[in-house]
Amino acid sequence: MSVAIRAEADGERARLVPAGTFDLAHASEVVRAVEQAERDLHASGDVDLHLFALERIDGSGALLLARLIDRLEARGLRTRLIEDHNPHALRLITLYRERRAEARPQPARRMGSLARLGVMAAAVPDMATGALDFLGQAAAAVPRAFLSPRSVDWSSLPRLMQAIGADALPVTSAANLLVGIIIGFLGVSQLGRFGAVVYVPELVVIAHFRELGPLVTAIVVAGRSGAGLASELATMQVSEEIDALRSMGFNPVSWLVVPRCLALVVTMPLLTWIGDVLALGGGLLATIVITDMTPRAYVLSTADHITGAHFLDGMIKTPFLGLIIGLIACGQGLAARGGAAAVGARTTTAVVLAIFGVIVISALFTLFFTLLGI
Amino acid sequence: MEHVSFEVERGTTLAILGGSGSGKSTLLRYLIGLEQPMAGRIEIDSVGEPHVYRGVPPFGVLFQSGALFSSLTLAENLALPLTTWTSIRGPLVHDFVQAKLGLVGLGAFSEHLPGELSGGMKKRAGIARAMMLEPDLLFFDEPSAGLDPISAVELDQLIVTLSRDLGITIVIVTHELPSIFVVADNCIVLDKEAKGIVARGDPRRLRDESAIPFVHNFFTRTTPSAPTTREG
Repeated sequence: MSVAIRAEADGERARLVPAGTFDLAHASEVVRAVEQAERDLHASGDVDLHLFALERIDGSGALLLARLIDRLEARGLRTRLIEDHNPHALRLITLYRERRAEARPQPARRMGSLARLGVMAAAVPDMATGALDFLGQAAAAVPRAFLSPRSVDWSSLPRLMQAIGADALPVTSAANLLVGIIIGFLGVSQLGRFGAVVYVPELVVIAHFRELGPLVTAIVVAGRSGAGLASELATMQVSEEIDALRSMGFNPVSWLVVPRCLALVVTMPLLTWIGDVLALGGGLLATIVITDMTPRAYVLSTADHITGAHFLDGMIKTPFLGLIIGLIACGQGLAARGGAAAVGARTTTAVVLAIFGVIVISALFTLFFTLLGI
Repeated sequence: MEHVSFEVERGTTLAILGGSGSGKSTLLRYLIGLEQPMAGRIEIDSVGEPHVYRGVPPFGVLFQSGALFSSLTLAENLALPLTTWTSIRGPLVHDFVQAKLGLVGLGAFSEHLPGELSGGMKKRAGIARAMMLEPDLLFFDEPSAGLDPISAVELDQLIVTLSRDLGITIVIVTHELPSIFVVADNCIVLDKEAKGIVARGDPRRLRDESAIPFVHNFFTRTTPSAPTTREG
């Protein structure tokens, strides 16, 4: 049966007779019927709403009829609901009239672009304070770890080194091998124009040992382990595990951040060292495939150019890169507030900041070594 | 669970009771189709078996935590099923959302995120979302768990209103005895040892008259008004 509301006027009185199925599946038809009834109604006194012809009614139908009555009363009409042996419909309509949302919803928090800029600017001091506060806590946790070794969860260190180091080895190795191949191809194509293919091994050593090895390894670790650490701590934060630690007298920075940063500081040089070796292999592969250079000549040339300075220039920065990844990932994780969305947001921020931090630290070291003439 | 067979009458509230590990939550997961029993059959009126339906969900579910999407406002949480499963759009969506929020007393909080609400408010918002598609049947998983007594009583009253005024059939998994006596018309009691239902009926009668030791202990141990024997 179709949905309709008959409007019958009798002088100053009127009868409204909704008929048919007033449920969610027919909501659009009910809306049209209600609008039509409002247009057809010319009463200026009482309006009786008879419920006998309703075949079915649910909350949506009751709501639309309740709002119709509200609007009629707002026009100054007096309304009556006539049960007509349909107590369910009467109860539903009455309930939706009684329980209408009296309090107006707060307007949606939509801000103009200037206001958003202002809010972002206003948040900068808080962010800086929070970052410095976390950095201070992390710095204070280091001597505390020596003075009170039980303040740190040392038992988690092997597991963390496994997760951050050993488990990351395949992906960091593959990345370094490929970068070595890329440098090799690039060297052959560019230096080969001047007949200087013999310098390709030196190029691979210098470029990878000093800059690209630590950088590539750190970026991969920041994306992989940084995201993992940030989401782990953020989940602990939103599920009140961090609060539970605090309530039991643990300092979360000592207990959680110190072992994670330590694991990164220890494993980053190892991952970089293995990556350097694989990059040399990549450079060798690229060179002997497309030039006449023999593997023996390449290896001898490489051995001549691996100096302590090149090796240490790169390796010395790796613990700092690990530390910056750990601090940013843990700091972002502990700063999470709210629910699942906060975990995702903090993880994303942690990865972006960690990669940016790695590049900045790497650039600072390069500048420093350049100024020292190393 | 091996011996579970029961029916729920339309328009009534059935409580599924039992101790920890008795299978209450597993039974609920079977009832709402998240898992399928290894044997047996669950029939929901015209829907058939709950795990095979397609399209508009035929019932609403309130999960223990409320399970609101934390990145969406209450209004967006409630509008989601409506805009997904119906052709309703525009201002009507807002009207329906506001009406449901008004029904559970949260009309002023439509633009709030779930993280800004108390536990009781989240549960009420969860109920409003479960009702958005006007189901005839609602499942509640531990609705009073973790709530303060006042919020728990308010929630119980809301459940009674839904059942009485809207005529919704309700199946409620709980072990909160004060709530059971307020909201439930009938109950079934699950027992881990018996691997199924050990008692069924009006919870007040079971409390006062059941001769089964497990059922008697279940109702009397934590019921303040239950008769107790004190010696000395």
